[in-house]
Amino acid sequence: MNTIFKNQYYLILKHGIKMELADKERLISPILFATTMLILFAFGIGETSEDLIIKIFLAQTFLTLLFSLQITFARIFDPDEKDKVFQLLQCYPINHAAWFLGKYTLVILVGSLVLVPTMLLAGLLNHNPKAPLLTPEIFLIAFLALAGLASIGVLLSAMTLKASGREVLFPLIYFPLSTPVLLAAIQSSQVLLSGNNSDILWQWVGLLVCFDVIYVTLGILLFGELAGSE
Amino acid sequence: MIILDKKQLITGCIFFVMLMLAWYWSLFVVTTEEHQGDVYRIIYLHVPSVFTAFLSAFILLCMSILGLWKKSYKSVQVGLASAEVGLLFTFLGLATGSIWGKPTWGTWWTWDARLTTTFILALLYCGYILLWNSVQSNLMRIKVCSVLGIMIAANIPIIYKSVTWWRTLHQPPSIFRRGGSSMSPEILSLLLINIAIMLAIGIWLIIQRYKNITLGEDLEEESYLQIRQQEGG
Repeated sequence: MNTIFKNQYYLILKHGIKMELADKERLISPILFATTMLILFAFGIGETSEDLIIKIFLAQTFLTLLFSLQITFARIFDPDEKDKVFQLLQCYPINHAAWFLGKYTLVILVGSLVLVPTMLLAGLLNHNPKAPLLTPEIFLIAFLALAGLASIGVLLSAMTLKASGREVLFPLIYFPLSTPVLLAAIQSSQVLLSGNNSDILWQWVGLLVCFDVIYVTLGILLFGELAGSE
Repeated sequence: MIILDKKQLITGCIFFVMLMLAWYWSLFVVTTEEHQGDVYRIIYLHVPSVFTAFLSAFILLCMSILGLWKKSYKSVQVGLASAEVGLLFTFLGLATGSIWGKPTWGTWWTWDARLTTTFILALLYCGYILLWNSVQSNLMRIKVCSVLGIMIAANIPIIYKSVTWWRTLHQPPSIFRRGGSSMSPEILSLLLINIAIMLAIGIWLIIQRYKNITLGEDLEEESYLQIRQQEGG
C-alpha cells in the first residue's frame, strides 16, 4: 500500500467517523429500531419450545440486523452529499479504491455498533441455560455477514444517491442482493449451534466468505465508476 | 428501414411457427413419461423459459461490462431490454413451475431454494427496471445500471447451483450433469429443440424491445424539440 493511498484512506475514514460522532442520532436510531424489532418479535412469538429456540434466535437476530443495517447503509453518503464533500471528492484526483475502502471500513465500524447490542439483546431474550447461543463463533459469522452486507450497502448507497424515490429503491435492490449472504450466515449459524456435521458448517462458511470476497471485489472495482465525475 | 422491419417480422413469425410446431410435438406426439404422466409435458415450456431468463442475465452482464468499459448508452439500452425480457421469462418459469408443482408436490408454492432464488432474480430484474426509470442523466444511467447488472449476474450461479447446494424439493440438474443426462433420448432431444427455439425467441424479443426503447427515446426528444421550437417561435 503506497503512502498516498494510505493517507487518502485514513482521511476519508477519519472524516466519516467525525461526521458520525457529530450527528449521534444517525447511530442511535438504528439501535433503537433494532431494539423495538426484537421486542416486537419476542412479544409476537411468545414462549417457545427448546428445540425451536435456535431457529427463532437466528431468524430474529439476522432479520433485525438486516433491517437496521439497511437504515445505516442507506444514509452513509448523506453527510457527504449535504456538505458537498461527495462532489468535491469527485473532482479531486482521489484513488477510488481508497475512497471505497474508507467508506467500507466506516460502515463496518458503525455496523458493528449496531450488530453487537442487537446480538446481545437477542441472546438475552432467547436465553437458554442448556445451550449458550452467544458463542464467539456466532459473532464471527455475524461479522462475516456484516462484511458482505456492508459492501453491498456502500455500493447501493452510491448508486441510488442521484435516484428519485431512493427510499423505496434502496431496500428493493438491497434485500434481494443480500440474500446469499444472509442465507449462508443463517445456515452456518444453525449448523454451528445445533452441533451438526462440521463439513456442512465449513461449506456454508465457505459460501459466506466467497460472497464477501465477490461483493468486496465488485465494490472496489465498480465504486470508481459510480464515484467518477460526470 | 421498412425492409429491415419486414425482415424482423418474418424472422419472428418463423420462430413462433417453429415454437408452435415444437409445442404440438411436445403435447401430442412425444411419449408420456413413465412416472409423472402427462403433467411432465410442462417442462417443454418451463425449462426453456428458465434458460431464456438465464440467457437474459448473461446478455445483461455482457452489456453492463461493455457499458462501463465504452461508456456506451446503447449497451445499457440493450441491458434494459434484456432485463425486461428476463423478467418476463422468469415469471413464466415461476408460473409454469407452480402449475407443475400443484399435481406433483401437492402445492402451488413452497419456499424451496430454487424457487426462492428464482423469485429473487425476478425481484432483481424489477429493481433494475425501477433503477433505470429513477435515474435521469444518461451517463449516470450507464454507470448505476451497469453496476447493478453485474451484481445481478453474480447471483445466477447461486440459482443454478441451489438444487445441489441445498436439499430441495426441486430435482437436481438432469440435462447438464456428470455422467450424461438422466432423461430418455427422445424427451431430451425435444427439450433441447424447445430450449433452442425459446432462446432464439428471447434474443429476438430483446432486439425488438431495444428498438422500441430507442424509438421511444427518439420520439420523446423530438417532441421536446418541437415544443421548444414552438415556444421560441
